[in-house]
Amino acid sequence: MTFTRGEIRNLFKGLAFLSPWLIGFSVFMLLPIVLSLYYSLSDYNLLQKPVFIGTENYRALASDGIFWHSLRVTLLYAAVSVPLGLFMSLGVALLLNVKLFAQPIFRTIIFLPSLVPTIAAAILWRWMFNQRLGIINGVLAPVLGWFHLPTPPWLDSSNWVVPSLALMSVWSAGNTVVIYLAGLQDVPRDLYEAAELDGAGPIRRLWNVTLPMISPVIFFNLIMAIIGILQVFDTPFMMTKGGPNRASYFYTYYLYDSAFTYLKMGYASAMAWIQLLLVLALTGIAFWSSKRWVYYQGK
Amino acid sequence: MVFGVVYVLIFGPRSEPALPPDRRSDLVIHYWEKWLGPEAEAMQVIVDDFNNSVGREKHIYVEMMSMSDIDQKTLVATAGGVPPDVAGLWDPMVVQLGSLGALEPLEDLAKAHGITDGFYKPVFWNACHFNGHLYSLVSTPAAVALFYNQRIFHEDAAKLRAAGLDPNRPPQTIDELDRYSDALTEFVTDAQGQRHVSRAGYMPMPPDYDWYVTSIPLWFGDNEWDSVTHRFTLTDPAVLQAFRWLESFPRKLGEDAVSEFSTSQGSFNSPQNAFVAGTLVMEMQGPWMANYIHHLRPSMDHDWAAAPFPSAVPGLTDVTYCPFDTLMIPRGCPHIPEAFEFIAFVNRQDEMEKLCMMHCKNSPLTNVSEYFLDHHPNPYIRVFEELSASPNAHMTMQCPVAQEAGGDLTAIVQGVLAMEIDPKIALEQAQVSLQAKYDEFEKNLKRRMRQ
Repeated sequence: MTFTRGEIRNLFKGLAFLSPWLIGFSVFMLLPIVLSLYYSLSDYNLLQKPVFIGTENYRALASDGIFWHSLRVTLLYAAVSVPLGLFMSLGVALLLNVKLFAQPIFRTIIFLPSLVPTIAAAILWRWMFNQRLGIINGVLAPVLGWFHLPTPPWLDSSNWVVPSLALMSVWSAGNTVVIYLAGLQDVPRDLYEAAELDGAGPIRRLWNVTLPMISPVIFFNLIMAIIGILQVFDTPFMMTKGGPNRASYFYTYYLYDSAFTYLKMGYASAMAWIQLLLVLALTGIAFWSSKRWVYYQGK
Repeated sequence: MVFGVVYVLIFGPRSEPALPPDRRSDLVIHYWEKWLGPEAEAMQVIVDDFNNSVGREKHIYVEMMSMSDIDQKTLVATAGGVPPDVAGLWDPMVVQLGSLGALEPLEDLAKAHGITDGFYKPVFWNACHFNGHLYSLVSTPAAVALFYNQRIFHEDAAKLRAAGLDPNRPPQTIDELDRYSDALTEFVTDAQGQRHVSRAGYMPMPPDYDWYVTSIPLWFGDNEWDSVTHRFTLTDPAVLQAFRWLESFPRKLGEDAVSEFSTSQGSFNSPQNAFVAGTLVMEMQGPWMANYIHHLRPSMDHDWAAAPFPSAVPGLTDVTYCPFDTLMIPRGCPHIPEAFEFIAFVNRQDEMEKLCMMHCKNSPLTNVSEYFLDHHPNPYIRVFEELSASPNAHMTMQCPVAQEAGGDLTAIVQGVLAMEIDPKIALEQAQVSLQAKYDEFEKNLKRRMRQ
């Protein structure tokens, strides 16, 4: 295959226009990825030259109790937060898809929390979760008091802190709701009309029409949630500092501490690669399972 | 053109600070400092003093830049070969960075400036050293003591007397501290019938201020690290006794009482600060607390007093923990003698006392002027001076994995105060894991030295 002079010139022009991205990708993505793989096989503290130590970091991780603990905390959070977020967002999107008076206002209200900076949300929720003075327990106390039950200690208890953070994550699910809404509005009206003619009620229409038709959107949100949840860092960092008793010490928090507090950059790089493999494995499982439940109209 | 712009942005000239016209030929020393707000303003006064005196004479101009996350920024800048000339960091970093060869040794320069053994109180002088090298000097120090609310002592004198205690003096032993605390603690029952601590006599982990609670074994006569044998000593009986003492608070007050009390108070720098608001009668604090009390609630200025924090061991007196802020010269600094000129200036007695008065802290120096003692904003500064000069004054754990130890010990304290873990089992586990981390550090260090 030969190129004409004009084609070669066009190729170079194309590459020149692409060059900002190519350079950015190479310098800020590809090179750090390759280096982090090398560092994960090294004793590296950022201040001295890396010393190659083979798989020692990975072996040390296998016997590190805090590593396993942080992994367990993260997976527990994901197990609560991902389904909770997906179902709540879907529920809200279905409600917002109903034609009502002031529908755009409701949509705006639901989306607004996504615009609140994480730090502001963290401060707000810390007060809301306050065991004694928080608004949540203020509402719950009379109800629970009726059954002689104590109010939950939320962020102050090892047992409650992860569910509390998972609950909080649902609050800022506006982006997910918007994606669901877009998916819901793409469902052809004629399918609903046909279902109605066949005598299908609202539940039947939801189960047999809406959910299959938006299953690619659910799948997309699931993948994004898995990736995002396994990297959660900022909320526990600001709200709980990983406590109490390391009950909210998430994987990425331990990775950050290993790198920048304990100056074990090689160890942290090994953790980052394990995290990548974990994300790949979980998204791989999601893709594999998608053959059974995701319906693409074009196929 | 795009490449040209990128090249200029990356490799092009950098702006220099705007110097006064008569100082444009001076050597600029870049000084990074962690302090923000009033503490940074106080340090700027010292920087200005330097620039207008020694700096003018020797043609050195110090430019201070205060910033957050200074430890990480200094680390990255040092690794990148463009460190600041002077970095204002924290004492645990002397060992952490010193052990990695990231700091310039200062002993020769210090000696040339007359800063030698005996210049500082021993606890600070020793803590500035690691592996026989002087790696930092002090910017401001601290010593912790017992702050107690005399007004509440007097108001509740009957309660204290009924418990066989003297309302006119602070507790002298840990046992007495417990008895004072029990007598002064008050509860309230809410509409749902749940009991809450409304006023605590003493709480081991006050709200928003928990960084020294892990050093509590010092008051039980032990340390958590043996710097001679390089071994953690977390399974020593005295360390366990200290953690058992912490555990006694939730046992007495209720499982969730400590955390619930802590989170229901305001943050440290607010009028809802538990000690300032009068919901905490006694607490362990540094000398700066006087400044906060004065600013947050001036009417309380004459209500409080400070005394040595009581010890659990008979005859063990004047025990304190002395953390401090440091000035260091990171490796690769191009102007070491000039940078040290500034550090030495900060450590002049007059400048050090000026800074420590503005920060409301004690002095690290052996020689302290009467003016400093008489005019200090903390009327109990003599207590802190005596404590930091005491043979029972302790420095931060001089261990290269102290940061990891701090994380583990804080988690243990939280678990103990929530009654979620048994102190003995937790300390035994931490002993094994932390010693393994230290041994790993040593192994890596030796491997590097062989290469």
